[in-house]
Amino acid sequence: MYGFEALTFNIHSGYLEAIVRGHRSGLLTAADYNNLCQCETLDDIKMHLSATEYGPYLQNEPSPLHTTTIVEKCTLKLVDEYKHMLSQATEPLSTFLQYITYGHMIDNVVLIVTGTLHERDVHELLEKCHPLGMFDSIATLAVAQNMRELYRLVLVDTPLAPYFSECITSEDLDDMNIEIMRNTLYKAYLEDFYDFCQKLGGATAEIMSDLLAFEADRRAVNITINSIGTELTRDDRRKLYSNFGLLYPYGHEELAVCEDIDQVRGVMEKYPPYQTIFAKLSYGESQMLDKAFYEEEVKRLCLAFEQQFHYGVFFAYMRLREQEIRNLMWISECVAQNQKSRVHDSVVFIF
Amino acid sequence: MGEDEAIAKFSEDQNDDGVSESKAVPVEDKESINDKNVEKFLDSMDDYLILVDSLSSILRQGWLELASARHSMGASRISASSYDMKYHSAATTLQLQHETASSDVGQPHFVLRKWESSDSPKKDPSDSPKRDPCEAKLEEDKWVQSVSSGLRIRTKGTSESSESREKKAENTGSPLSVDGHAQKERLKALSMFGALAPPKLRAAQLSFETALETLADIANVRASLLRAYEQVQKEMESPIQ
Repeated sequence: MYGFEALTFNIHSGYLEAIVRGHRSGLLTAADYNNLCQCETLDDIKMHLSATEYGPYLQNEPSPLHTTTIVEKCTLKLVDEYKHMLSQATEPLSTFLQYITYGHMIDNVVLIVTGTLHERDVHELLEKCHPLGMFDSIATLAVAQNMRELYRLVLVDTPLAPYFSECITSEDLDDMNIEIMRNTLYKAYLEDFYDFCQKLGGATAEIMSDLLAFEADRRAVNITINSIGTELTRDDRRKLYSNFGLLYPYGHEELAVCEDIDQVRGVMEKYPPYQTIFAKLSYGESQMLDKAFYEEEVKRLCLAFEQQFHYGVFFAYMRLREQEIRNLMWISECVAQNQKSRVHDSVVFIF
Repeated sequence: MGEDEAIAKFSEDQNDDGVSESKAVPVEDKESINDKNVEKFLDSMDDYLILVDSLSSILRQGWLELASARHSMGASRISASSYDMKYHSAATTLQLQHETASSDVGQPHFVLRKWESSDSPKKDPSDSPKRDPCEAKLEEDKWVQSVSSGLRIRTKGTSESSESREKKAENTGSPLSVDGHAQKERLKALSMFGALAPPKLRAAQLSFETALETLADIANVRASLLRAYEQVQKEMESPIQ
């Protein structure tokens, strides 16, 4: 019954909620970002980060540093925290935590399959995979020639198996088919996650519905914009949109026929939560759309911490850490390329 | 020598039929030719410096746009491991031709052919390059080394001018407007990072494409600069008659 989580939540999940709220207080603040934005070299960034929770992960890295090294080590911290929480979690929280990583699993599968199509070495590709999305048989993805083999040989024993029912064909894998596969899998994953959260009920269902609906809507907009000018048909585009969210179903019908960014703007401005996002952009411009979406997402994720006794805080923390790592990546790139004046183009302050 | 004496000397060189024989160029004409060559040299130098500055700013912009695309798509999706290692023909080639105009005989001219489809039929032999581009490049390097001694290039802080962009389009023959075939080939090239390329990645591609055009222009202007320098040097060494 919604509203009575306080009676029973702490029995199984109180410890982990306290842990995740402690982790949340370790997120970088605006003062930290101001210091980082004034760094002249990547070694300066390392020095500033040594005073944060990232310190132990970067202290042994030799100079000269590379931006990918900073991102990798910061990601390792997130992975360690996640594994600790997963090892301590009981059902249904453990399943909820696993759902959070399925997106990375999909990205890793697509990375291996695409790399194999381009005749890259499997070991090189495995090094590029996100650690949160790894599974045991991932290396055997390289032997599959089409989606049917992909499913039958490897993915049938993974959590992604249920998501393959909509994209199993015997067509050979090419760049467009792989992209359609990626988005079809992600659509199925989001819908499954949404249904799982609805079954959990209570504050978790309410908060996660809002967060997942925003994710689904953002993906719909990105798919629309990215497919402009490509050979993806309107029907195929429509099939990639999730069956929930604020834009479902009428917004999706209008997005499916959009031919340029201004038409997308026209569709989205009919929905009040997205009016503020598109109000920040000038006509014909789409470069700052990502930052506008990230800012809105961070606002919603921070609001998840305002309520207790729900699983949404775990999802929110993971996403906020990923945003922080994106911020660090952008700051490092601007410092490395000597373009500090552009650092505020993509940094999203969390607090 | 005064003006009257120069005209008298010119008259003496004329034969009985009244047709002038070009045994010696009048001093004033020779000086004006010298001035033109020096002017040509300085113009080429100016164009070269503007193009180099423009290239630097375009490349900076391209690298930042690429970093921005990595920021939104994820570092694993845009990296060197995404490159397609299968054999495929280059979408863009550089051809070396030699000028045949009397004033610039032997001067190399670089032509960039962009976005040639790998599915397109074999080119007409008259359009095919006269030699292997790598060999042509080596020959060009040798020619450049033999002529360019002691040239010091100064740097300017000027931004790219619209005139240099238009000149870029003229030299490479590529129109500024995007046509369907070029757009299709662009998306095909980007498909190694995913079939649905975001606007930031497309912008980065355009920046590097512009940088490639600028490089071809720089090569042409440099050839012209060195030719003009060679002529000025010859005139300085030859005695005034």
